[in-house]
Amino acid sequence: MNLERVIFGFFILLALTLTFVFVVGEIDNHQHHSVWILTIAILVNMTTTGLKLGDRTQVGALLLAASLVADLLLISARVFWIIAEPEGAAGPNPEDMVTIVSLSAGALLANIISSVILIGDTLMSRR
Amino acid sequence: MASTTELDRVAMVVLRYLRRPFFALVLVYAVGIIGMALIPGRDADGNPEYMSLFHAFYFLTYTATTTGFGEIPSAFTNEQRLWAIFCLYTGVFAWFYAIGSTIRLLQNPHFTHALNERNFARTVRRISEPFFIICGFGDTGSLLARGLSDHKFNAVVIDADTERIKALALRDYTVRMPGLCADASVPKYLVDAGVKQPNCKAVVVLNSDEDINLKIAVMSRYLNPGIQIVCRSTSLRHEEHLRELGDVTVIDPFEIFGQLLSMAIVSPKLHNLNSWLVRAHGVKLGKALQVPKGQWILCGYGRMGHWFRKYMAEQGIYPSIIDPDVDLDENVGSEKIIRAYADRKTLKESGIEDAVGIVAGTDSDSGNLSILLSTEALNPEAFTIVRQNDHDNQIAFDAANVDLVLQSSLTTARRILKYLISPLIQTLIDYLHENDEELTDELVTRLQNTVGDEVQHLWRVNVCHREASAAADLLDQNMQLTLADILKDPTGRSKVLACVPLMMERDGECVMLPGDGEQIRVGDEIVFCGTERSERLLTASLNNPYTLTYLVSGVYPPRGYFFNWLDRQLNPSRPANGPPNVSAGTGPATPA
Repeated sequence: MNLERVIFGFFILLALTLTFVFVVGEIDNHQHHSVWILTIAILVNMTTTGLKLGDRTQVGALLLAASLVADLLLISARVFWIIAEPEGAAGPNPEDMVTIVSLSAGALLANIISSVILIGDTLMSRR
Repeated sequence: MASTTELDRVAMVVLRYLRRPFFALVLVYAVGIIGMALIPGRDADGNPEYMSLFHAFYFLTYTATTTGFGEIPSAFTNEQRLWAIFCLYTGVFAWFYAIGSTIRLLQNPHFTHALNERNFARTVRRISEPFFIICGFGDTGSLLARGLSDHKFNAVVIDADTERIKALALRDYTVRMPGLCADASVPKYLVDAGVKQPNCKAVVVLNSDEDINLKIAVMSRYLNPGIQIVCRSTSLRHEEHLRELGDVTVIDPFEIFGQLLSMAIVSPKLHNLNSWLVRAHGVKLGKALQVPKGQWILCGYGRMGHWFRKYMAEQGIYPSIIDPDVDLDENVGSEKIIRAYADRKTLKESGIEDAVGIVAGTDSDSGNLSILLSTEALNPEAFTIVRQNDHDNQIAFDAANVDLVLQSSLTTARRILKYLISPLIQTLIDYLHENDEELTDELVTRLQNTVGDEVQHLWRVNVCHREASAAADLLDQNMQLTLADILKDPTGRSKVLACVPLMMERDGECVMLPGDGEQIRVGDEIVFCGTERSERLLTASLNNPYTLTYLVSGVYPPRGYFFNWLDRQLNPSRPANGPPNVSAGTGPATPA
C-alpha cells in the first residue's frame, strides 16, 4: 500500500461520487438537486485536477484531460445556475434545470472515464 | 515521368481502337437526329408539328440503345415511322460495333499490360511503409515473400514469367504484395516498382540468369545510389562486378548451403540455435542434432560441393567425394575421390559401411533420394544429410527417413530474410562460430531458461528520445543505466523479463552477448530475443519514467507536482537524491 495512491484514488472517486449525487433525481426538478453539492463537487474536482498535474506518462495526460473536461462542465453548470435563478425564487425553472443537470451528467461521464483509467492502470502494474 | 508515358500509351491504344466506332456512332446519331427533326409530325389535334432537336436526340437515345419507350410525345406519322425504322437499325448496329470494339480493346494484350503496369506503379507509389523490391519470383523469391509477409513487411515483385505473377495474386499474404510481369532489367519497370522512393529499403535480385541479375543491380544502383542491393550470384566474374557497385550483398546459394551443411556437422548446437532463430519448422532449442565425427562421404562435387569441402577443410574434415564429373587430378586433400555416379557399387567402394555419415548433395532430387535408399541398405546407422533442390518435392523428402534435409531455396530465402530484417543476427552467428562451443551452450541455456517453449521474437531497440524516451532522459542526466536494470520485470523487479540481449551496437562497434552489468548509453542499438510480451513490457518501461525509476531504484516515485512536494516534506532527509522525479534525481542509482 502506498499513501500517495490512497490519496489519489480517494479524490478521484470522491469527485465521481459527488457528481453522481448531484445528478441523481428528476432532471427538471430543482428540489432534487442541491446547489451546495454542486459547489462542493466543483471544489473536489479542482483538487483532483491539481493532484494530476505533473504526471509525465500518457496515462497521466489522459487523466488530466478527463479531469479538465469535468471541471469545465461543472463550472458551466454552476455559472448557468447563477444566471438562471430568478430573483427571490427557490431555484431555476424546469427548462434551465434540465440544462444544468445535463451539463453535470457530462462531467459525471468524464469522471467515470477517469476512474476506469485509474483502475486499469492500477491493475496493469500488478503490484 | 514513367507514369505519363504509360498514360500516353494507354490513351493511344484506346484512341486507336475506339476512334472508328466513335465516329460511326456520331454519324448515325447526327443523321438520325437531323432527319427526325426535319420530318413533320402531327399533334393530338391533327396540326403539323416538328420535333425539336432535343426531342429528336431523346428519341434516338431510347431507340438506338433498344430501350424503346414508344412514340412520344404524340403518335408518329407514317413518314416518321419510316425514318424511325432506319434510325433503329443503323443505331443498334453502330452500338454493337462500338461495344465489340471496346471488348476487343480490353482483350488486347498491350492494353492489359499497359494498364497493369499503370496500376502497379500507382499501388507502389501509395505504399507508405518501408518495402523491398523482389526481382524474380521463383522458389527463393516466393519463400522470401512469404517470410516478409509473416513479419508484416511490404514487398513488390517483378518477374518476367506471367504464370508466376498470376500465382502471386492468389497467395494469401498478410500484407499487399503488388506484382508486375516485366523484365526487371528495364529501368522503367524498376522505377515503377519504386526503386527511387525513399521508403524502398532494398532491391533483392533473385533471377537465375546471372547477366540479368547484374544488369538489374547496375540499373538499381544508377537509379538510386543509396539503395541497398541483395543479389544472388554463383559466378565469380559477376560477383566481382557486383562488389564494384558498392553496398551490394552478394548471396551465393551454394556458399550459404555449404556453410550451413558444415555448420550442421561441425557445430550442431550452433546450427540448432540458428535454425531456431530463423524459426525453421519443427526445430526445438537445445535439441541439437547428434552428428557423429569421423569419415564422411560427399556425393556430388559441383558448386555446392566445393563450398562444402572448403568449409569442412577449415575444420580439418576431408570427406570422400563421389561425382561423375570430378577432376581426379584436382588436389583437394580428400581421402578418396571416385569419378562415378553414386550408385550402390560406388558407395560400397567409397567405404560407406565404415562412414559415419553421408551427404547426398547432387543437383538431382531423384538421385539424392536413391542415394538415401542405398545408404539405408548398406549402412543404416549412417547420419544422412540430403539436399533438396525442388521445393515441390517436399512430400517425398518428408517421407524419407533422413536426419537433416537442407533445401537450397529455403536456406537462401531465410538468409536474405535474416539479412533484411535483422542484419546483426548473422554477425552473432559468425561470432559464435568462431568461438568455443561453450559460448553457444551458455546462450542456448539462457534462452531456454528465459524464452522456453514460447515463440521467440527478435527485435532491436535504439536508445534514443524517439524510441526510448524515459531511458534517454535518464541517461541525459548522467544517471547510470545497465542492461540488468531494463531487463527487470516492471510488475515486480525481483523477476526478470523473458528476453535476452544478444548484442549491442555502439558507434559502429558490436558487443556480442553483452553481460547484465553492461552500461547503456544514448545511441546504443540493442538486439533482443524473447517473447512478444517481454517486448511490450520492455518498450513500456523504456518509455515510462516512473517505471524506469522503479526498475533502477526499487522505489516507485511520486507522480505529479503535489505528491512530489508532499514526498519532500515527509522525507526531508533525501531532498533531491531520492528517485522521486527523474528530472530531480542526481547521482548514480545503485541497483538493489
